[in-house]
Amino acid sequence: MSNELVSLQDIRKSFSGVEVLHGVDLTLGAGEVLALLGENGAGKSTLVKILAGDIEPTSGSIDIRGTKVAKLDVYQARQLGVRMIFQELNDAPALTVAENIFLGQWPHSGPFVGWNEMAEKAKAVLDRLEVDIPVDAIAGQLRVGERQLLEIARALTQDTKVLVLDEPTAALSNVEVERLFSVMDQLREEGVGMIYITHRLDEVARVADRVQVLRDGSSVLTVDAKKASREDLVSAMLGHASEKNARPELAQTSETAVQVSGLTSFAEFQNVSFTVNRGEVLALFGKIGSGTSEICESLFGLRAITAGSVEVFGKEYKTKGPAHSADQGIGYLPADRQRLGSFPVRSVAENLAVRSWKRMGKFGFVNRLLEHQAFNRWAEALRIVSRGSTQNISTLSGGNQQKVLLARWFEAGVNILLLVEPTRGVDVGARRDIYEIIRKQAKESGMAVIVATSDYEEVVLLADRAFVMSRGEVVSELTGNSVEASKLIAAAS
Amino acid sequence: MSNSKNEVAESGAKVRRRMPDVAPLLGFLILLTIFFTVTSEYFLDVDNFKNIFVALAVTGVVCVPGTMLMIAGQVDLSVGSAAAVSGMILGNVVNSYGIANGLLAVLVFGLVIGAVNGFFVTVIGVNSLITTLGTLATLYGIALLIGNGQTLMMKNFEWLGTAQPAGIPLPIIIFFVIAVVGIVVLRRTRFGRSLYAIGSNPNAARVVGIRSNRILFATFVLSGLSSALAGAILCSQLSAGDPNAARGLELEVITAIVLGGASLAGGRGTMWGTIIGLTTIGVLNNGLILLDVPTFWQRVAQGLMLILAVSFDATRERLAAKRR
Repeated sequence: MSNELVSLQDIRKSFSGVEVLHGVDLTLGAGEVLALLGENGAGKSTLVKILAGDIEPTSGSIDIRGTKVAKLDVYQARQLGVRMIFQELNDAPALTVAENIFLGQWPHSGPFVGWNEMAEKAKAVLDRLEVDIPVDAIAGQLRVGERQLLEIARALTQDTKVLVLDEPTAALSNVEVERLFSVMDQLREEGVGMIYITHRLDEVARVADRVQVLRDGSSVLTVDAKKASREDLVSAMLGHASEKNARPELAQTSETAVQVSGLTSFAEFQNVSFTVNRGEVLALFGKIGSGTSEICESLFGLRAITAGSVEVFGKEYKTKGPAHSADQGIGYLPADRQRLGSFPVRSVAENLAVRSWKRMGKFGFVNRLLEHQAFNRWAEALRIVSRGSTQNISTLSGGNQQKVLLARWFEAGVNILLLVEPTRGVDVGARRDIYEIIRKQAKESGMAVIVATSDYEEVVLLADRAFVMSRGEVVSELTGNSVEASKLIAAAS
Repeated sequence: MSNSKNEVAESGAKVRRRMPDVAPLLGFLILLTIFFTVTSEYFLDVDNFKNIFVALAVTGVVCVPGTMLMIAGQVDLSVGSAAAVSGMILGNVVNSYGIANGLLAVLVFGLVIGAVNGFFVTVIGVNSLITTLGTLATLYGIALLIGNGQTLMMKNFEWLGTAQPAGIPLPIIIFFVIAVVGIVVLRRTRFGRSLYAIGSNPNAARVVGIRSNRILFATFVLSGLSSALAGAILCSQLSAGDPNAARGLELEVITAIVLGGASLAGGRGTMWGTIIGLTTIGVLNNGLILLDVPTFWQRVAQGLMLILAVSFDATRERLAAKRR
């Protein structure tokens, strides 16, 4: 190809002796959009970070705009016109639109910023993108989608030839996604080559010219986007990985614990209805931003409910915030363990007992011996590895920390447990442990469990039933043995 | 029973865990005591130690809720000014309406100022450092306004600061009782355990269903009450309401607490640690006086100790982070 912008050949990368990329090729032409697909851990991020000079490959050759690069660093990658846009915003919310577009590279004369020049140039860039945002608006007051467009505008002011977009639509509304796509169409006209990383199969046909699928560090499929069927892509992404996942023995239950009808919270999720029985594990499966974790937040009282109703054991339930929900026998395990879950400088016993102090003494006193006994009991039952009940929780491994936080709600004796991404940051071995623990506890105590997750394997291994969500709405329900990886992924895309 | 065995093992582990926090300070205190014993013949003496602890009692009373606040990641800088205002209130009220009414007025004042601080921190959401810096300035102004900048002399109120039931000065008894309550509350009650949780991770405390705002509000009220009590003791000792009497009290309180191993980031600290920190300050001040060092040097020494204590805290945090 004469207008080839990027050519990566036989790229290998090892982290501490473990090879994560096994000789991957990737080419990108001028004015081409390449969709890069793959499950979490397939190697997409590593590959594009190599292209951006962020990570040095163990071996392989890198060719950018006809220049063979021996050792690419971040600075050189920028010189060659490679820019990356991430899912998370990298802007300064307190500054204006114009300042953000020229962040760190403000037009200046001597030490003084050239405000007029900057405003004019910013306006020109936004006009080029056909985006109508006033240049003196404060970035933090714009919608997330608009702020993402500012990052693209910033890339445009810097003579971009290769643009890498890493899941930019995860936090965007449909309208904003469409606007992003039309901007991408325009960049294509201008000859910019784009690598578009996504989880959403429906976006591929709309925006991409070619699709490349990575699985376990190898490139398994490269096809014309127009010719790729959804089934082909799903099976390429999954390989045969799904077959080894055996379904657990399903719960036999009938008594309804939670009934949710028409639940809505602004645009986060709309008109969601489901029931969960006692002793049953229900999964809400969907990509991040699809509304699954937001439903759990609303049920626990961390997020406003704008419409719909919740019934708990046949009675209408209106939460007055997390403290009230917890008092009513509802537990909540947040996805962000460090920020919302654990008390870092405190002992594992305290971390476990924090919800059970009321039971552990009278008149506001806490019998600390009971704290330690409770820890020792659960440590044995859940196989928590620690040096003892006084150990600081932050010195435990992720899996063991998560077991302590689960035991926190088990010990409190909750009837309903809401789990958000319960095995994020947990190693594979501990994961199986945690699934087993949750299922066992649900069966024995009759607790109803709702799991919000973006991990299909988690759904297969953990849940009795699954609701699949996409962009805030329930798109399908899978029960019993129809809970399969391929069906989950096809439905969520 | 195996339970008691567990408890022994547990308290052993507890000592080991807490040792690194307080041990260096305790060592420093012992060295200081030996040094002053050698250099001054008046130092090691029962009456002198009474003096040391009477001088500490006022600060000590404020240190108890102060430690609770620090553990919860909060700070109350307004304690000195609040103590000054309560002294001025007493100076005004006692002479005309009697001691009982005076103490009642001071009690109400303590509640109100604690509630005001608590309101701004928990309801409005202003950072406690800024809130109480504001009330520090405001209350100092009010203390000056009440006496028009003058000291208010008073009579018949010496007992609170100078009585010695069973040979022990009353302020020491008051401090002792409050400190014991503080120890029990922090270690054995839900309220105390919640303070540690809030300081350790305020977001997680909310998610786990701890009513953080109520607890913090109550602790600020306790701090206000203790400042008012401290002001009353001070006023009684001086037989006067002096707007400048408690200046710098907040500095002494924070120094003692931080010396005692409470983390400025919250989540860590003990009442025992604060008591040892407080004693260190008292011994240092007393020893310097006995050695005829001009009193201005006390301030210098205290300031340096605060910097030293905070550096110690920061170094420990950094080392802990490295170990992780």
